[in-house]
Amino acid sequence: MIAITAPSQRFSRLLANPSAGAILLLVILIVAMSVAFPNFFTGINAGNVSNQMVFVLLLALGMTVVLITGGIDLSVGSVMGLSAGIGAYTITSGAPLVVGLLTTMAVGAFLGLINGIMITKLGLPDFIATLAMLGVARGALFLWTGGVPIIGYMLPEYYVISGLSQPFGFITVPILIAIVAVVVVAVVLKFTSYGRHAYGLGSSPHAAVLSGVPVARIKVIAYMISGLMAGVAGMIMAGRNTTVAPTMGLGYEVAAIAAAIIGGAALGGGRGSAFGAVIGALVLSITANAINIAGVSSSWQQVVTGGVLLLAVVFDRVSSLIRARSARLATRLAHA
Amino acid sequence: MSVRTRLTQTLAIDGLPVAAALALAVVFFSLASPFFLTQENISNLLTQSLFVIILAAGMTFVLIVGGFDLSVGAATGLSAATTMLVLMNGGALPLGILAGIATGMAFGIINGFFIAVMEINAFIVTLATLSIGAGALQVLTTGTQLTGVSLPAFAWLTKGSILGIPTGVVITLVIVAALEWVLLFTTFGRTIFAVGTNPRAAFLAGTPVRRLTFSVYLLSGTIAGLAGVLLASHLNSVQPGLGQGYELSAIAAAVLGGVSLAGGRGSVWRAVIGALFLATMAQGLQLIGVDPLWFSIVTGASIVIAVAFDRAVQQWVIKQLAAATTKRQIFDDSDASASVSADAPTTSATRSSVRNTK
Repeated sequence: MIAITAPSQRFSRLLANPSAGAILLLVILIVAMSVAFPNFFTGINAGNVSNQMVFVLLLALGMTVVLITGGIDLSVGSVMGLSAGIGAYTITSGAPLVVGLLTTMAVGAFLGLINGIMITKLGLPDFIATLAMLGVARGALFLWTGGVPIIGYMLPEYYVISGLSQPFGFITVPILIAIVAVVVVAVVLKFTSYGRHAYGLGSSPHAAVLSGVPVARIKVIAYMISGLMAGVAGMIMAGRNTTVAPTMGLGYEVAAIAAAIIGGAALGGGRGSAFGAVIGALVLSITANAINIAGVSSSWQQVVTGGVLLLAVVFDRVSSLIRARSARLATRLAHA
Repeated sequence: MSVRTRLTQTLAIDGLPVAAALALAVVFFSLASPFFLTQENISNLLTQSLFVIILAAGMTFVLIVGGFDLSVGAATGLSAATTMLVLMNGGALPLGILAGIATGMAFGIINGFFIAVMEINAFIVTLATLSIGAGALQVLTTGTQLTGVSLPAFAWLTKGSILGIPTGVVITLVIVAALEWVLLFTTFGRTIFAVGTNPRAAFLAGTPVRRLTFSVYLLSGTIAGLAGVLLASHLNSVQPGLGQGYELSAIAAAVLGGVSLAGGRGSVWRAVIGALFLATMAQGLQLIGVDPLWFSIVTGASIVIAVAFDRAVQQWVIKQLAAATTKRQIFDDSDASASVSADAPTTSATRSSVRNTK
């Protein structure tokens, strides 16, 4: 009896690691693409992928923090667009570059703060508050720009900051920014009381309240982190595109949520990590890159992102069912 | 105290606040612009709001069962595209309509399967199908112009008129009336209230929760397919991004009409009033010279205000109720009050208890 269950237990223990499935998927994807297309596994392509994944990675980091506390942030795509627009505008109206960049990030964090206040003070469900923010921020950007892209903010330094010019080879400034963001979020989640409170709040909101966790503050800060990350992503994308179109960041919330969930964050809260967000963003970016290299029309991009998100939640569901079953089996064996 | 109580009770009547808001908006805009109450404008307003009205009616079912459907906008857009595709390739009108409705149903079946059978979070599943649908529309419209169907019967679906009323309005009225009838007078309609109010209790009482949940998403998808057919007839052309944001308007309309996001509460006509309110705002703001781009801000803000308002009223009612309950408990130890003091009673329960205590 025990001999039969051992492999299945080992299997489920493997599955219990939230990132295991994603890493497996990643390895299969890389191996298959390398075999099929010789120009996939090259240094140049690796540079391309890393420079493209920065946006989703930053958004996924913020989303992971929000998901850990048990919330969700649908507004990141719109927040990214609006903060990039306002930041670019301050530069065109004569402010120094640093002020423009700081404005971009500050607007992101501020919109996150409003999300947090709507959720904690007005008691709105998180997806409604952030869905409203999605509509309002996008509408504000369209209204304010009149549908015309913002241009003329590209100071010479902005080319370096956005990674358009690459003085240090393929390790661009955005990649360095992303690495810093990953390390900071990882440290905050693992080694600070904020991080422990966030996991506690997500695992059991009721227990968190009873043990004196400042629930409202933890939530508001989580949405601010998500907004800030969206601001940083917007700042880089404004430079990368050299214009801020009113549609900038449209639909990025799907990619961000997909990346976070692929990386092991759960909708119920209490699970997720910065490392997982990296893996999730890698899976999405490499898939996008694979589509590109395989010569499939980029119109398919959105279909594939949605498909990957669906696959990720199905996988998560199936693995949690297997975990629950093997746990039941183990209890039954222990009782026998 | 008694005036306050009466005010609270009035505000707690579902649908009254939004109906009042609609009336106020109509009065305001007809005073602000002489063109608002013209027949042409009203007919325009109705024709443009048909799609959101239909989607909001479908969304009501999903919200009542305690679910969520973000994919309706994408489903509408893709259904419009498949209808156009069939008609452009010489398919007969019934075939085109069928293609559109079948596309919507496909969304419903996929959503229903993952949500009801696999028990995955509704929100993520429909977000994924939104992305897939919007992407598929992009794929379909790249390289091909979906436009220029010259079937008179197809155009008649939204542009014709029956007894002086635009056909689209008549079709919408029929759909809305049918859905309200299903919700109020069929076993299906009554049991989805039970599932939304308390899924566990409904399951223990022998309700086929899974099958009902599946049916509700199938219904919402089918309705989105119908809306897509009408939208294709209205525009006679389909671009990428069509239907984008309709889910936001449909949810806003339902929520404005007092359909609870927590499930178990709502009705089709109230969602329709919510949709009419949004349409009036859109049309009215445009008439008095406000940029139509304000509309998505108005929609977003009205969701926030409606939900916050609803919550405030509910809490007020519960507080009043708790006070009344304690008073009554002094006189008799009625067991009915015990269930009321649970932390999240539904409104209908709350309201009937308010009446009982009176």
